[in-house]
Amino acid sequence: MIKNHPPTQFLADYSAGALSLAPAISVTTHLQFCDQCREAVSGLNALGGELLSDCEGIEISSSLLAETLDRLDAPMESAATSPSAQGDTTALIDSDLANELPDYLHKFVGRSTLNWRSLSSSVSVAPITVGESDYELALHRIEAGGKTPVHDHQGTEVTVVLKGTFSDEQGMYHEGDFLIREAGDVHQPIAAQNESCVCLSVLSAPIKLTGIKQVLNPFMRFNPS
Amino acid sequence: MKKDSGPDWNTLLVRVGSHQDKAAFGALFSHFAPLLKGFLLKGGGVEPEQAEELVQETMIKVWRKAPSYAPAQAAASTWMYTIARNTRIDWLRKHSKKNQQTDELVAEDLFDENEESSPFTALIQTRNAGNIKAHLAELPQEQLQVLTLMYFQGKSGQEVADELSIPLGTVKSRVRLALQKLKLKLSPTGEDQQVVYAQ
Repeated sequence: MIKNHPPTQFLADYSAGALSLAPAISVTTHLQFCDQCREAVSGLNALGGELLSDCEGIEISSSLLAETLDRLDAPMESAATSPSAQGDTTALIDSDLANELPDYLHKFVGRSTLNWRSLSSSVSVAPITVGESDYELALHRIEAGGKTPVHDHQGTEVTVVLKGTFSDEQGMYHEGDFLIREAGDVHQPIAAQNESCVCLSVLSAPIKLTGIKQVLNPFMRFNPS
Repeated sequence: MKKDSGPDWNTLLVRVGSHQDKAAFGALFSHFAPLLKGFLLKGGGVEPEQAEELVQETMIKVWRKAPSYAPAQAAASTWMYTIARNTRIDWLRKHSKKNQQTDELVAEDLFDENEESSPFTALIQTRNAGNIKAHLAELPQEQLQVLTLMYFQGKSGQEVADELSIPLGTVKSRVRLALQKLKLKLSPTGEDQQVVYAQ
């Protein structure tokens, strides 16, 4: 039973299309494990559909339908689906790891070769490139019984447990659990004794002004060392 | 008995997928294209000509993806909403200076709308649609305003709070109250994690 979920506002931001790539990926990953949040998102999307239906229509150019019909039979454009989403990406993920990740993540993890580096004797991290500078997306692996170094966060960190379990001062987390750790939280995750633990994490880049709206990102920098 | 008369959009969309039915597509287009244009323009940041481009792009995706549309999983309008949302996300990313396009990820890759549906999905979906229709008009203006900014403009709770100069906590509680009124499911997580997100 999953006990830790994205907060309602996080799911609403997700459904409204307001989340950046990496946080959105973390939510979809959680949904691979969690029927309850899947149901919540389906309701939020239905709300989007109803707001669209209720919206005041604006007249469109009379030629737009004909132009659109003309384009229907044209070959697919590259934007429809990224090559990585349909190609054979698993070749870039080692098979042990591939079994530990939900299928959904393969298209991101398989985009380039993973470079694992050690943070300590029992913890390693592999960044996943999604072409976004605001957030770092990464896999973390804690070996069985391993402890991460005690660390605090300069920014918010989202973690989704993909395989195994770990615990910290606040509880024990299982596959599918979605955790948010706030700036200033100090914690020391410890993997279960009998198996290693793999997590997806989203770490945010420094506070920055985004576009003309000057909005502060809700996620801030995480410093892995 | 269904209350709203008029075409059954779900059935038309299924026909587009199963028969490449251009007449059905035309009917969907005539209904949804003006709505999509209204939706995109209400969001701001898009000029009228660009809005039509985006409407066209959305409708072409609808045509191509229609074979994967499952009416048990989502109403046609919900499905169209997610495609329009994804099209807008891609468009905004393409036009943002900050993300110089070096990658080919598209919004569709992020979301995962094509999940297999369980028997419950259809029930939940029908119940949600009914509840939303029944209660949307009853929402207090302040709740509707927050939802409108979020959905039409793709704004996060934080961005809505900044725009309205109200605390993030107020935005969150309006969203929660609105969802409760619409009898939609909230996140199962407790309030404590919500505080964390508030920073």
